[in-house]
Amino acid sequence: MPSFLLTVVLGIYPIGWAMRYMFYDYKGYGAERYIGLDNFARVLRDGEFWQSVVNTFAYAGGKLALSIPLALLLAVLLNRGLRGRHVLRAVFFMPTIISSAVMAVVFFAIFNAYNGVLNQFLLKYKLIGGAVDWLGVDHAMLTVVLVSVWGAVGNYMLLFLAGLQNIPADVYESASLDGANKLQQFRYVTLPMLGPVSQMIVMLAIINALKGYESIMVLTDGGPVGKTNVMFLYVYKLFFPTAGTGAASQVQEIGYGSAVAFVTAVIVGAVTVLYFYGSKQMNRYA
Amino acid sequence: MRMKKQLLLAASGLTLAGSLVACSGQSSEEEQSGAKSGGKTKIVYWTGDRHDSEFIKEQVDAYNRTNADDIEVELVIKGDDFDQALDMSFQTSEAPDVIRVKENTIQTFYKKGFLAPIDAYLTDELKAKFPLMENLNSFDGKRYSLPNYGTTMRLIYNKELFAKAGIAAPPTTLAELVEDAKKITAAGKANGEYGFAQNFKSPGSALGRSARVIAETSGYGGFGYDFKTARYDFAPFKPIIEAFKQMKDDGSMLPGVESLDIDPLRAQFAEGKIGMYLSFSAEAGVYQSQFPAKIEWAAAPAPSIDGSVNGASGFLGGQWLAISSESEHKDAAWKFMAYMYGDQILQQYQEKGFGIAMVPSVSAVAAKPEVYGIDGFLPTARDGVWPVYPAVPVQGAKSDDAFFKYILSGGDLDAIVADLNARYNKALDAAIASGDVKAEPDPDFDPARLAGQYADE
Repeated sequence: MPSFLLTVVLGIYPIGWAMRYMFYDYKGYGAERYIGLDNFARVLRDGEFWQSVVNTFAYAGGKLALSIPLALLLAVLLNRGLRGRHVLRAVFFMPTIISSAVMAVVFFAIFNAYNGVLNQFLLKYKLIGGAVDWLGVDHAMLTVVLVSVWGAVGNYMLLFLAGLQNIPADVYESASLDGANKLQQFRYVTLPMLGPVSQMIVMLAIINALKGYESIMVLTDGGPVGKTNVMFLYVYKLFFPTAGTGAASQVQEIGYGSAVAFVTAVIVGAVTVLYFYGSKQMNRYA
Repeated sequence: MRMKKQLLLAASGLTLAGSLVACSGQSSEEEQSGAKSGGKTKIVYWTGDRHDSEFIKEQVDAYNRTNADDIEVELVIKGDDFDQALDMSFQTSEAPDVIRVKENTIQTFYKKGFLAPIDAYLTDELKAKFPLMENLNSFDGKRYSLPNYGTTMRLIYNKELFAKAGIAAPPTTLAELVEDAKKITAAGKANGEYGFAQNFKSPGSALGRSARVIAETSGYGGFGYDFKTARYDFAPFKPIIEAFKQMKDDGSMLPGVESLDIDPLRAQFAEGKIGMYLSFSAEAGVYQSQFPAKIEWAAAPAPSIDGSVNGASGFLGGQWLAISSESEHKDAAWKFMAYMYGDQILQQYQEKGFGIAMVPSVSAVAAKPEVYGIDGFLPTARDGVWPVYPAVPVQGAKSDDAFFKYILSGGDLDAIVADLNARYNKALDAAIASGDVKAEPDPDFDPARLAGQYADE
């Protein structure tokens, strides 16, 4: 009963609240005007939103492409009898428990163009000719992807490790007796037997990547010129526009924001479902 | 298989929930507004200001020690999420009793019904002492706040880099601004010194402290709204945005301005790496405590488009504290508010350099702030308070974002301005039709007449 109540209060009620406003023009004050499907028609015309969808897929794609193989590689290495592997596991996992917003501030000190540590290092060893604006128009997406990979790898590594430790040792022994070398054991034993775990890890990674926005908000706030503006950040700003000192007054768009949030949820849900059915093959050894 | 389906369903459900609720983060504040603690009437005061936090803490502590009404004030200093947290507090019936309001938030808070009128508490003496400012502290004939201090906007410049580049005086036109930025960069680029910088991580904040004051000094509304016609017209911003673009193209701006926040900008200015930028009078306090400046610097009037001053450099303010409409202890909240608006605190507020007094009787007696560089920020005959423009929910890119994009990547500025005008006026018409805003043309509006009310020279 308590869990049912919690689900209703924290899950169903807020969704119902937001879904109701999808059909209203509501600014957080004044009249709530019913406008039917106008908010959804506006979503279809909203170039900034669709650009944020494209950015989200670029961000999520980059994050997955780098973090999953890296996490698997680290898990395999740290699953061996290396000295200090427990310390290394803790070190790689640490970013997961550090606030992404706090780390984004540290990463700003590393990546900023005028006195960032990265530029100073690269210039010192003459790897670049001049300061690179890692948070500028040309490189901002790459930078936020790298920061997100740093934050995610340890988590997925740990999940892969759990999967690896569930593979019976005698399977490797049999493979070894059959003459399989380490690479072949990885290809024909480890990868297939990690299939079900990998399927879930990748699904979680997809959802997290599509939903991630906190570190982006701190690092670039979606800029420059919207280059790193992802779907959830776009929604956030519709609900909570911020008027800095001296800046123009901002108007909340609760009705439209609810409609965009719904479309966003449908996109994330659709990608997840597509992935789930598309990855059934990974489960054949389950 | 069934388990997988359930898992999939659960994952999809979580995604939907996460998406829809992502933006409704619950405030973690534990204050209970209006609670009685140990026989005392407890009231909660929220502020988002950090530059004066120590001073305010001292005043609140002193009030808690000395007030004879058994009132205990809890001060809560919020971060950048002040507006969001306040929204949440009203939704969860945990709203503070006393709220810090600003020129760009008081209207919204009023429309949301967050504020209680204070007319019943105002004696004739108080009414005479604190200027009534329509849409800045008064709405529809009722007062909701009182002025304390104002904020002027200036060009802040590094005197050492000016001397090094052979520049005798701060720029007074956009052409001089561009030229001076180029000279400073040419003279100092080898040492990492650049002519100009803007905090473009937030284009709204960057242009709200730069393009705004140049436009206002030149006689145009700082947010594109024309008070004569009651229409939006961004055409006057063209030369300003062109000048900013020119400085970017010239390489006169600090590298990395595209993602620069205001504090990193200040840190670089304090280190002597930036020749000039435009900002508020709060900068003087910033370089005294937050980022102690290692250089000789000063503030000068912002340049106008062509050197002629046809308007008033915005003097921001007119409000400070307000009482929550949901406060159960409005009388106690007012008693605390009356204490904070006492002459001694207001006077110290200026003298310690937190702001420039906007209450005439305080201005008359308060000494000049004890802060290096404040002289250039003190009100002059060029400063004045602009009326409040109608904020509208425009669809598509905001003006600041569109202009910033042009500064970075170019394009057809005439087409950008035409598009902004069309979209902002469409949003304005819709907001007028729905009764959300009022916008009446004022053919006699003369921006030059706004200036000169706070200083003669």
